[in-house]
Amino acid sequence: MGLWVIAEAAGEGFRPSTFELLSQARAMGEEATAVLVGDDAANKAQLDGLAAKILSVSGDNLSPYAADPWVDALSQLIGEAKPDLVLFGEGQRTRDLLPRIAARLGVQAITAGMGLKKEGGYVVHRPAQGGKAYMDLALEGGQALVAFRPNSFATDAPPVAATAYEEKSVAAAADRAPVVERTVDAAKKIDITEAAVVICGGRGMKGEENLVLLEELADLLGGAWGVTRALVDASWKGADHSIQVGKSGKTVSPGLYFACGISGATHHIMGMDTSKVVVAINTDPNAIMFEYADYGITGDALQVLPEIINEVKALKS
Amino acid sequence: MKVAVLAKEVPDLEAQVKVAGGGTSLDIEKRRVLNFFDEIAVEAALKLKESAGAETYAVSAGAGVDALRRALAMGIPGAFHIEDPALADAGPLTVARALAAFVQKEGFDLVLAGKQATDDEAGLVGPMVAELLGVPCVVGIVSLEASDGSVRVSRHTDTGVEVVDLPLPAVVTAEKGLYEPRVPAVTGVMKAMKAKIEKSSLADLGVEAEPGPKVLGYQPPAKRSAIKMIPGEPAEAASQLVQLLRDEAKAL
Ligand SMILES: Cc1cc2nc3c(=O)[nH]c(=O)nc-3n(C[C@H](O)[C@H](O)[C@H](O)COP(=O)(O)OP(=O)(O)OC[C@H]3O[C@@H](n4cnc5c(N)ncnc54)[C@H](O)[C@@H]3O)c2cc1C
Ligand SMILES: Nc1ncnc2c1ncn2[C@@H]1O[C@H](COP(=O)(O)O)[C@@H](O)[C@H]1O
Repeated sequence: MGLWVIAEAAGEGFRPSTFELLSQARAMGEEATAVLVGDDAANKAQLDGLAAKILSVSGDNLSPYAADPWVDALSQLIGEAKPDLVLFGEGQRTRDLLPRIAARLGVQAITAGMGLKKEGGYVVHRPAQGGKAYMDLALEGGQALVAFRPNSFATDAPPVAATAYEEKSVAAAADRAPVVERTVDAAKKIDITEAAVVICGGRGMKGEENLVLLEELADLLGGAWGVTRALVDASWKGADHSIQVGKSGKTVSPGLYFACGISGATHHIMGMDTSKVVVAINTDPNAIMFEYADYGITGDALQVLPEIINEVKALKS
Repeated sequence: MKVAVLAKEVPDLEAQVKVAGGGTSLDIEKRRVLNFFDEIAVEAALKLKESAGAETYAVSAGAGVDALRRALAMGIPGAFHIEDPALADAGPLTVARALAAFVQKEGFDLVLAGKQATDDEAGLVGPMVAELLGVPCVVGIVSLEASDGSVRVSRHTDTGVEVVDLPLPAVVTAEKGLYEPRVPAVTGVMKAMKAKIEKSSLADLGVEAEPGPKVLGYQPPAKRSAIKMIPGEPAEAASQLVQLLRDEAKAL
């Protein structure tokens, strides 16, 4: 019965997807339960009014996050309470957890969701054939776990009148795959898949020393910067695979996407085509990228970007 | 060490896809290949074969002959095909059950899958197989080193890199960056054409097919409205653009 949202903490708050999923549940008139496991419950007060119920789950092995105990704990909870639908935000953790919980419980699993509505039963909208088409999937009876891509839903549904709180403790299995080393990359700020603005550059940026232009504009707009595979393969400094946009990299769906010096190869387009507003800057007026953009400037990205940065600075001051 | 590769056959990334039958089906150009991430998994298996004498094989469920021939051509000695008409409409859990039952029967210390398939982009089957086998799993690895009874793997997280000591048996899924897959030699391709691919059915594996979620309809990607080209010198164009993004597109 009911709908659960697996909330996911990030820093002092929650990931944007947590707010999106809870808002979508409210918009659909669902009395949703937000589930917070281990340390993720620390800032639960921030979700007050956003869910009908907040369920905090504690137990051995759950903090910090590790896949085995989390799979075990969530499988127990979902297996007992039997919510019809459990929503996850797509990301590293969800990729660990969702398939394994679904396999353990023998329930339906869908990832890469981009839309959700209720038409009798629930209907999930997602890409088909790598984004060359889209499809609507019906969840007919039985339980389902569904993961949604960031930026799939608005966050503005009205709050609920009151939030109930519940705490549960579970006995969770130990982790069998211990992390022996963790390196934190201080330069990583906003996850590119979650960013509301993405400034992406390609070979037309001419050299690694110019990538700071992408970073500067991204910082100004509170977004993230990314690159094409061409730059990752060429090992430009800073152009690592975790910020590659495209088929063999990340799929992004921001409100605003800048393609700077990018030709518009299909493999790249498949990773960004669901962006809402797309700007392309290219010296070649016939660049394919212009076919996938809303606004275009024919020109040298190295000359245009500094001017855009100036304009945005002026706008902000 | 025995290493199994889960090899999925998918449409080529360049294959044309059209919505057909008034939104009831997809018309997909018939150019079938081994999934991009599974090629990386094959390469990882070959590295373990060459460096640690691992015994390797590949297994594919559903349409899979072209994928298996590619794995054979790259150098995997054994290929197995789970073929069953019921797989056509089956969900990922059925596929995972069939693959798990197969590798259980055939034996494995390490199962290598792809991070995701380029057609369904689901990323479900690898970790599902791990769960069904009751072994641990690391998703999206970018390095792999074998030692006695375990492997050391690493993966990118949201904040950096994690190194994990994974006791065997286990399942890992390959992310881009793990290895650059080799291009098969002509002799390898010739050998693969002649190699025998053993078949089994879902009944052989004791798996019953369950349908996946029902498809209500397909749509082509939404068309963008015509592009607005902004003329002028860089400073002028930039000023126009920022104004349009703010006032017209409401994107700033
Ligand atoms: C299996 C596979 C998977 C792939 N996956 C991905 C992926 O995930 N992501 C990805 O991006 N690619 C991917 N690719 C590669 C993709 O096919 C293209 O090769 C790549 O996207 C091209 O990158 P680019 O646009 O930076 O470079 P190019 O194609 O070289 O384009 C550079 C562009 O910059 C323009 N330009 C030049 N100078 C300037 C200037 N001063 N100012 C403005 N514009 C300028 C040029 O007119 C040109 O249009 C994949 C390929 C394969 C085969
Ligand atoms: N039918 C299949 N046959 C063999 N391996 C598969 C199959 N489906 C999925 N896999 C494996 O699971 C990975 C993830 O696939 P998917 O869950 O479809 O994104 C693939 O990269 C393969 O390694």
